[in-house]
Amino acid sequence: MIETHHLSKLYSRGLYALHDLNLTVDKGEFVFLTGPSGAGKSTFLRLLLVQERASEGEIFVNGHNLAKLSRRDIQEYRRGIGFIFQDFKLIPSRTIFDNISFVAQVLGVPPAQQKRKAFQVLKWVGLQHRMNAYPHDLSGGEQQRIAIARALASEPVLLLADEPTGNLDPDLSLEIMNLLREVNAGGTTVLVATHDRELIRLVGRRTITLDQGRVVEIG
Amino acid sequence: MRAIDYSLHEAWVSLWRNRAAAAFAMVAIGLAMIVLGALLLVTWNVERLLAEWSSATEFSVFLDDTATSEERGAIEALIDDSDVVEAREYVSKADALTRFRREFAELASLADGFDDNPFPASVEVRVRPEAEADGRAEALVRRVSALPGVADVQYDREWLARMASGLDALRGIGFALAVVMALAAAVTVASVVRLGMQSRRDELQVMALVGSPLTFIRGPFVAEGVLQGGFGALVALGLLAIGSALVNVSWGAQLAMLLDGGSLQFLPARLCAALVAGGMLVGGVGGFAASRHAL
Repeated sequence: MIETHHLSKLYSRGLYALHDLNLTVDKGEFVFLTGPSGAGKSTFLRLLLVQERASEGEIFVNGHNLAKLSRRDIQEYRRGIGFIFQDFKLIPSRTIFDNISFVAQVLGVPPAQQKRKAFQVLKWVGLQHRMNAYPHDLSGGEQQRIAIARALASEPVLLLADEPTGNLDPDLSLEIMNLLREVNAGGTTVLVATHDRELIRLVGRRTITLDQGRVVEIG
Repeated sequence: MRAIDYSLHEAWVSLWRNRAAAAFAMVAIGLAMIVLGALLLVTWNVERLLAEWSSATEFSVFLDDTATSEERGAIEALIDDSDVVEAREYVSKADALTRFRREFAELASLADGFDDNPFPASVEVRVRPEAEADGRAEALVRRVSALPGVADVQYDREWLARMASGLDALRGIGFALAVVMALAAAVTVASVVRLGMQSRRDELQVMALVGSPLTFIRGPFVAEGVLQGGFGALVALGLLAIGSALVNVSWGAQLAMLLDGGSLQFLPARLCAALVAGGMLVGGVGGFAASRHAL
């Protein structure tokens, strides 16, 4: 699903955020990306979302060479990727239901299908009873579940999560991880960036450790 | 179609949310459209009159007091034999005096003091419009002018041509002014749309990340500009209609004299539609310029 060859990201000050990264994530895998702050985890996810371009080397995702994607190709490519952030990135002015159906709406899905899908994923994360609430009415754990539901609304083949439990207590963190495991069980490849070693130990999946932009351990 | 529905809905919501700023942009577009509309109103009315006057072109052949009946006969024969004349009328010296007394009643007493009738006899000729357009009328005027017994020929094309050229100049100046104002309006719309964009940053970020098509990302901003432009132009049209009605009420008598009994007519539907379309275009350009900052 993901393959990198001698991937580097160099910033203008001459600092490498990622340096000569060679790694592979297979289709249907659940992988943790870990390391201390500044190790390059978020940079790697930004490269996978094509929010930034690599300075050297190549990344292939689901057969796409990300360096060769045009602007239009990037839009098409992103439709197959789900994302979850530490700060949830929900739209405060929209209800929970609208936050989810919005994704299908701006992808041009017919209205009836938008609603059906939104309700389906809301039910899946167990928050269908809060569909008319606004994000600020929900707890952090609930907001992250909504973010997962939104990510699933476009039926992605790859789900990227950047510190998804960073704002949550340990119990809620495990709950969110269990949800991500269920997503993975459905066939979606999941890549979670986190520095929470305890959580990784509890979930027990393959882990790629980065430090100063280099892979230092795969286990 | 779904992108258009979505864009119009989001544009409407944004207009309502930022209504004070949107009103400001609409005023800017309205002002540009008022200038353009007023220009159209004036030029269209003048063009209409010029066309009327052109279609009723006449020339008058004034005869020498000493002209013989043979000379007059030769003049009339030349006019009648040409294929450019629609009608001809001989006005004798006595008829000319009578006409003066009738048309300028307040000056009739002046005519009573004349020792002799000072008005010349004339032949008034109405020219066919097509002959006027292709220059045959002018050729006839030149030939008649050369005949013995002719004191002068008055052909009213020159002032019509002068008026048409003045109208061209007015149109050019007005158009340049309207273009400058339209540019300023487009910049105002772009600023207002960008202001509204700030309140949608979260949505835009999510849209970009889920791979939303550009039509969905930029469409609402273009639609917002188009709506602002359309509303601004409609307001401008309304104000122009009121203005032109007030002009007719306040200066009706003067206009009637100036316009051969007519009045200032409001723009026809096609020009009104063009003005609204122009406003929408200006707004759309502003919205499109702003939308380029959406990502």
